[in-house]
Amino acid sequence: MKINEELIKEITKLVVEEMRKVECKTIGYSASYGRDEAKKGNDVKEVVIGVGPGYLKEITRTINGLDHREVLREIKAGIEEEGMYPRVIKVYKTSDVAFIGKEAASLSGSGIGIGLQSKGTILIHQKDLYPLTNLELFPQAPLLTLELYRQIGKNAARYAKGLPVIPIAVENDHMVRPKYQVKAALMHIKETEEVKRKNPSIEFKNV
Amino acid sequence: MKWIAGVDIGNSTTEVCIGVISEKGSLQFVSSNQTTTTGTKGTQENTIGVIGALEKALHSSRKRVEDLDVILLNEAAPVIGDTAMETITETIITESTMIGHNPSTPGGIGLGTGKIIFIEDLDSVMNQDPYIIVASKMYSYEVIADKVNKARNKINITGVILQADEGVLVYNRLERKLPIIDEVGYIEKIPRGVMASVEVAPPGQSIQTLSNPYGIASLFQLTPEETQRIVPIAKSLVGNRSAVVIKTPKGEVKEKKIDAGFLYIHGPNHSVEANVDDGAEKIMVKLEEVKEIKDIEGQQGTNVGNMLNKMKETLATLTEQRVEQIYIQDLLAVDTTVPVEIQGGIAGETCMEKAVGIAAMVKTHKLPMMRVAEKLQKMTGVHTKIAGVEAVMAVLGAITTPGTKLPIAILDLGGGSTDAALLNENGMVQSIHLAGAGQLVTLLISEELGLKDLYLAEAIKKYPLAKVESLFHIRMENGEIRFYDEPLHPKYYGRVVVMAEEMIPIEGDASMEKIFQIRRESKKKVFIRNAIRALKKIAPKQEVRTIPNVVLVGGSALDFEIPEMILQELSHYKIVSGRGNIRQQEGPRNAVATGLLMHYVGG
Repeated sequence: MKINEELIKEITKLVVEEMRKVECKTIGYSASYGRDEAKKGNDVKEVVIGVGPGYLKEITRTINGLDHREVLREIKAGIEEEGMYPRVIKVYKTSDVAFIGKEAASLSGSGIGIGLQSKGTILIHQKDLYPLTNLELFPQAPLLTLELYRQIGKNAARYAKGLPVIPIAVENDHMVRPKYQVKAALMHIKETEEVKRKNPSIEFKNV
Repeated sequence: MKWIAGVDIGNSTTEVCIGVISEKGSLQFVSSNQTTTTGTKGTQENTIGVIGALEKALHSSRKRVEDLDVILLNEAAPVIGDTAMETITETIITESTMIGHNPSTPGGIGLGTGKIIFIEDLDSVMNQDPYIIVASKMYSYEVIADKVNKARNKINITGVILQADEGVLVYNRLERKLPIIDEVGYIEKIPRGVMASVEVAPPGQSIQTLSNPYGIASLFQLTPEETQRIVPIAKSLVGNRSAVVIKTPKGEVKEKKIDAGFLYIHGPNHSVEANVDDGAEKIMVKLEEVKEIKDIEGQQGTNVGNMLNKMKETLATLTEQRVEQIYIQDLLAVDTTVPVEIQGGIAGETCMEKAVGIAAMVKTHKLPMMRVAEKLQKMTGVHTKIAGVEAVMAVLGAITTPGTKLPIAILDLGGGSTDAALLNENGMVQSIHLAGAGQLVTLLISEELGLKDLYLAEAIKKYPLAKVESLFHIRMENGEIRFYDEPLHPKYYGRVVVMAEEMIPIEGDASMEKIFQIRRESKKKVFIRNAIRALKKIAPKQEVRTIPNVVLVGGSALDFEIPEMILQELSHYKIVSGRGNIRQQEGPRNAVATGLLMHYVGG
């Protein structure tokens, strides 16, 4: 069997069509958020969640269809259960999850931040680490569930408290990459189109 | 001029020492070396390591192995040991009477008592009795908080029990605050309509009422007889941040003694019985009653019987003997506690159960050192002979430690056995091998911490601990802070780590202080006890004070804290003890190899 260009084009077309459908369903679902610039917090009990520029705007569901509001709700619940305070910011200057996480961590009172892309890829960062190193990374977004997002929130809060974290059991599926490659690429492109290099990160409220 | 080499093949290290005998017959030490033992001690694979070490030691004198005149080999102590552990108590909960439960994040503070009601039944009650609400994880924290807030207008709610880990989330959404216990796994086991009590202590404190038998008695109006029965409940809740106690008509918590069985210690003329349930102290007292132990057996069909049988089988395989030929010559019993999950619990509670750790030692036929010697002679062409018993050679080597005088004793704290030897002014040597050493310490650490990982336990035994407080600094067990320029790997974050060559994180909730204490206690239980036991056996008239010097040799003498512990203990007897320093330069190493050369020249 030969994989030719036509086949790839065909697949891409189908995926794009599917994605349009998803978007049609969720149209009119845009977040109301404040326009104020995100400042560095000075409360040591705070954990900042940084979302990508397309979050709840061009994109409203993660790569496996989880509602963006639900995802944020679970992460925030995880942080709250551990007795810490969540704060959400929207990062405009980049769509790279590592740099979103680094930005969140730099603005966080505890120095711990979470980076969350619109397609659902998530990591936990610490302000003193290099952007491309991090505390925990969950690269296979299609395998993440709401329960896992809750646990990730909990772990971020435990880092902030200086407590050992509870290892999170994640699935690993080699087929995820080929299966979601096109969709992931498209979602990332969409998010990257929303990047405004000069814009500061803003407080992302009421979500 | 005669070139001679002493070789000591140990369980883990092979040590060599090179010497020259002048025409006048005086001995001069030239060099020494050590390497990891290749293969199991006493097998022909040992020769590879021996030759390697000899070559390295001879290198500085520009000699080759073939140039040696004689190679002297140690005669290994013909003993071998094994360790095992058995719990002797068991806690069983019948009908789920309690949850001695310690969730990491309970909600609220205080004490609440009331009837159990499930959240789905809330609408059906209208009376003014106090209630404790139980909610399964099917309900989200928002729904639970909402229902509780609404229900409080109608009925009297005093506490909440949750299945999910959402105690703080629910608490934050309550209008009036209540104590909340979460992470109760099997809530379906909680009977409806019975009385229960929930207590959450303020952060940093532990519960006061439910850990007090009279506290429980006051809450549930118990009779003196019933109060007697709930003592194990109160006991198991001591030190918890939060707890639930549920009163069921027939339920109770029992601390049951497992019938661990009897040990039969056979002497030359009579036998002595020791009940394992009585604990290690009693067993050791009984053991001392028998002067010369011929064999030790366990009662057939009991825990200790099976344990000793298994040990004998392992030792039989190792020594290539039949099981009937294996006689246990010594035994060391140690009391310990191990965390065991309580049967019948509803939140995966554990209880520290009593256990006995046992190390046993058997005499074997002479280990096949003869074969190693033959092989070595064939490979090198140098005359090789077995020149002396390990313990005797070690005590000879130990005299070269500055500051010692006769009579001198050595303690060789090994992995499987503790060996001691005494050399008196007349040149008489008395030696003894006792069960219990490093391996038993490792087992105790592993079991008490519930690690199930002997490699990690071994590392905990060997190296100091530290707590990783941030990505850039750690607090060592002595309180010192150490900083790092590069961030530490996140897997260490917040954890207690073992400071081996590379840090090893310890999973689980045990604090650094607790692990530190368990490590030191285990070493004391085994090494201090055995040091005294061994010295008593070799000392004239069993009087330890008659020995002025004790030199520690062997692997455990390199331990970072055991020599200090032994010094502290032996200083009560006015004995000078410490890590040896063989030939003023080798430290506690090379005692046997050095002794072999001295013995060759002297004898």
